[in-house]
Amino acid sequence: MSLYWAIQWRRNEGLGALFLVLAGFLILYAILFPGILSIGGAGRFVQNWFPMALVAVAQAVIMLTGGIDLSIGAMVGLGSVVAATSMGGAFGIAGGTAATLGMGAAVGAAVGVIVSIGRYPAIIVTLATSFIIGGAALLILPRPGGAIPPELSEFLAGDHPTAVLMLILLILGWKLYQATPLGMGLVAGGDNPIGAYRSGVATRTARIFAYALSGLLTACAGLYVAAQTGSGDPVIGQPFTLAAIAAAVLGGVSFLGGQGTLRGALAGSLLMSVLINVMFFMNLPPVAQYVVQGLIIVITVALPQLKRMLRRIA
Amino acid sequence: MRFRLAMTDTTRAALPYGLIVLLWVVAGAVLPGFAKPGHIRYMIELAAVIGLVGIGQTLVVIGGGIDLSVAATITVAAIVMPLVSFAPDTTGIGAIVLTLAVAGGIGAINGIGIGYLGLPPLIMTLATATTLQGLLVIIAGGSAVTVNNPLLVWLGSARIIGIPVDILVWAAIAALCLAWLHGTRTGATVFALGTNPLASRLSGVAERRVTLMLYAVSGLTAGCAGLLLLAMNGQGYVGIGDPYLLSSIAAVVLGGTSILGGRGTYAGTIAGAILLVTMTALITVVNASAGWRSIILGCLILGMLPLSGRDQNR
Repeated sequence: MSLYWAIQWRRNEGLGALFLVLAGFLILYAILFPGILSIGGAGRFVQNWFPMALVAVAQAVIMLTGGIDLSIGAMVGLGSVVAATSMGGAFGIAGGTAATLGMGAAVGAAVGVIVSIGRYPAIIVTLATSFIIGGAALLILPRPGGAIPPELSEFLAGDHPTAVLMLILLILGWKLYQATPLGMGLVAGGDNPIGAYRSGVATRTARIFAYALSGLLTACAGLYVAAQTGSGDPVIGQPFTLAAIAAAVLGGVSFLGGQGTLRGALAGSLLMSVLINVMFFMNLPPVAQYVVQGLIIVITVALPQLKRMLRRIA
Repeated sequence: MRFRLAMTDTTRAALPYGLIVLLWVVAGAVLPGFAKPGHIRYMIELAAVIGLVGIGQTLVVIGGGIDLSVAATITVAAIVMPLVSFAPDTTGIGAIVLTLAVAGGIGAINGIGIGYLGLPPLIMTLATATTLQGLLVIIAGGSAVTVNNPLLVWLGSARIIGIPVDILVWAAIAALCLAWLHGTRTGATVFALGTNPLASRLSGVAERRVTLMLYAVSGLTAGCAGLLLLAMNGQGYVGIGDPYLLSSIAAVVLGGTSILGGRGTYAGTIAGAILLVTMTALITVVNASAGWRSIILGCLILGMLPLSGRDQNR
């Protein structure tokens, strides 16, 4: 048990700066908008953050396998569209939710099979599937429409701490998944594919499951966004592709696979969410967040190299 | 061995040419007017834009990278051109040179980030694209700009011995690129860099400088494509370049260049561009829905992946 905590503690290394910056921003936010300190205010804050947290974790899962997912934004759109068109069917809310989540997992698994069995680079496969997924969303709903039953919107995005509960479930679920052979194989296969394979890890299966899980989480984010707005929108997900990468990178998840933590990805997405909120309240145009995201990514990823260059000069 | 390698590369590049001829013959027999010289000339004009973006994309991909900022750079060129026009410049050459300098500068920024700061190409170019997207909306707003540059107007409409000038411009730049890539020392280092960056650095390739140059060229050719698009369209607006990100990568992959770097030729990309336009024309004849077009393009790239190489170590 003491070994467990020692390892957990060591995995926080390198995240210290992020946690400090995040704490600073949260305190600043609480000073600027004291409303967040009430239970209702905190609940709404988590609701704003929740879709971003989901896509950040989805991207982190793929990056842990050593890949990258460029189809997250398209999948959020497809998830929102499927949710908004299937809830009115014979099976109601439960059927619509199952359809959305099942679609996400199935599409994710299909992408996983192409990447894992076909051994094609994830970047080009997910770029191609992003267009297929985006096209499918446009076929289902050419323009924003459909409907989410008000009671579901109220349950997910109303005055209940549902998002907080789901976040806790997500963290617990990830801990459990990491205790299974497939969950361990995901990280091991990303860290050292050949070594893991030779030690008997089912790296291919683990990777396919990782893509399915990622698709499920992303479709879930689409469902949540649809519940927030009350309808489906095929292109609502576009900003999420880069935001997910930015959050994961901020959270210390490596592009090379095998390095990174869920807590890092969550902290990264929380920081992004706080930044976007602050910019919104400062009355900056919404597109300014694109500029900030781009700069954040470049600076975060370039930081180690910049440090090395500075050390060489000094 | 070397001969066989060269043969397979030639075959890969020749395949799309064969496909084009086949498609034109079959479509010409089924659809009256499809294979008429006028329609073919029109399709090649459309292919010129993809072909020009494809120059930079091919070079970057052969060098082991990818450029996801080409679409944004095209839009920048189309939006910035009227802004940098100045009165004493009656021919319009000055504005064109300035626009190309801006586009090349964007590429150079990518090159510095990737070559000198060690950022992964995917991240750097994606971040550049996002930043530009935000800046463009802030600078240009939602309004469209009209062309009144005399040289561009001439470029978009004039013909020399029956051949549109834009096709001639493409042919000239393409010839230049092919001669440079396959006939010079620096061209050979691009292949070396894409095959094994470490080995090429150890054998004296100026890795950083070549990388910087590749991305600068990519920005430059995307700028050329943006100007050509503006000349053909008569109008520029935010989002005008968006379709060309996937098209340029698709043309590269269709042309038999390995997405993993180190192998390929621009001659294949030329055919890839024409093939892509032909397919799009056929899809439009059958069904004009944007969703289907997106799905078929995505499937096309997935379908061509077996030609484009696998991840060896996984």
